[in-house]
Amino acid sequence: MRNLKKYWSVAFLCLTLGLVLAACGSSTGSDSSGDKLVVATDATYAPMEYMDDNGNIVGIDIDIVDAIAEAAGFEVEYKNYGWEPLFAAVENGEVDFAVSSITITDDRKESFDFTDPYFVANQVILVPADSDVESFEDLKDKRVSVQINTTGHEVVKGLLGNTSSDIVATETMPLAITEMLNGNADASVGDNSVVLEYVKNNPDVELKTIEDDSFEKEFYGLMVQKGNSEILDLLNEGIQKIKEDGTLKELTGIDIE
Amino acid sequence: MIDFLDAIRFDMIWNYKELFIRGLWITLSLTAVGYVGGIILGLFLGIGKLSKIKWIYYPAKYYVDFFRGTPLLVQILLIHLAVIPSIFGHSLGYFVSGATALMLNCAAYNAEIIRAGIQSIEKGQMEAARSLGMPQGEAMRFIILPQAFRRMIPPLGNELIALLKDSSLVTVIAANDLLYAGKVVAGAYARFWEPYITVAILYLLLTWVFTKVIAYVERRYSNSYIPSQRRRIFSFGRASAGG
Repeated sequence: MRNLKKYWSVAFLCLTLGLVLAACGSSTGSDSSGDKLVVATDATYAPMEYMDDNGNIVGIDIDIVDAIAEAAGFEVEYKNYGWEPLFAAVENGEVDFAVSSITITDDRKESFDFTDPYFVANQVILVPADSDVESFEDLKDKRVSVQINTTGHEVVKGLLGNTSSDIVATETMPLAITEMLNGNADASVGDNSVVLEYVKNNPDVELKTIEDDSFEKEFYGLMVQKGNSEILDLLNEGIQKIKEDGTLKELTGIDIE
Repeated sequence: MIDFLDAIRFDMIWNYKELFIRGLWITLSLTAVGYVGGIILGLFLGIGKLSKIKWIYYPAKYYVDFFRGTPLLVQILLIHLAVIPSIFGHSLGYFVSGATALMLNCAAYNAEIIRAGIQSIEKGQMEAARSLGMPQGEAMRFIILPQAFRRMIPPLGNELIALLKDSSLVTVIAANDLLYAGKVVAGAYARFWEPYITVAILYLLLTWVFTKVIAYVERRYSNSYIPSQRRRIFSFGRASAGG
């Protein structure tokens, strides 16, 4: 009887292990077969990419990638990874590329390849309507909320210091703005598209936005695994096509060279 | 893996060392406040759950059910973004929200540990104390709790280590804890091995220290503890009689 029990547990172990391995096998199999490209995104960044009422991933970025896919003749499947995991997913080839309002920076270029830019953004400062902040310099002795590890976070680190405790870095931009409204920060710094969308959607909240010339213009690109020129060329071809036929300008309202 | 071994860049940790030092400090403070508050609150809740009076028993029971039955992450977000701003009109900062959430959560688990510890003491102990003329409260304080405490040490130690690790969840409300430092470095360099392995090692270091402390406390309060001269590191120059 005891022996039988032992065998059962071994059999169960084998079964579990088998199932786990089978699951792994099938998932990697579907990634490589077919010409459907898997796209990672962080769908918490309205209006660029977010979940609609039905749980579909939508937004300006998504419209652009759809247009690129149509122009270059491939199909795409979006997967919501979250901001930090999507970098790892692109790096280890789990997905084919990522679209998530990713600014092309020299630091990121060290680890990834980027397509030609498809969107221009700049940072804006959001403060309560009665705030005395007028420029970026005025934030020097203030607490500033940002979305963690975004370009907004980078510029604020530049002003307040890399390890400053006056930086309130939250998981999402709406949370960063909420921290400011709740009094944990005096100002928020974020991408123009997101901040302006928030102001548009919340007309009752008394806020003002400040543009500052010291912010560099940023170019968003699609992010590809380092050295994967096959997909990079395909995407660049699509971007070129939608630039030429005016689709890109129609979607973003911005002319881009 | 091989890529990682080729080029470990620990200079990126060094550049952000202040963030890690502050992270250690914040993590330890949150854990300490949460744990001490959790034990005090848990003691009342645990005794409350043993009460025969309905309006004491049911609130304690529902409190434990709620805080043990919902994820700590949800509690943290709820307290930081909804409860505190609604009560005070503005946020009180991440430390107050984080410590409160950890304390309330820890109290629910401690309540069960303390209740079970008290129940594990034989009925005869209470009966003997009462028959000697001790009131119920006094008997609980001087007879039951000291004995029960000894049995609670291992699970309470467990809870301390669990709480230390769970405190990493407060990073979602932008608390500058240890994990937050790792996340910032990971984002700044888009490299993940160095920051997260550093964070893991630092957490391991903290839990290792806590394990030693718990082991000492357990030994100190065990039945077989024999006070010896050499071991008395906490006697602070008190002259030892006899020996």
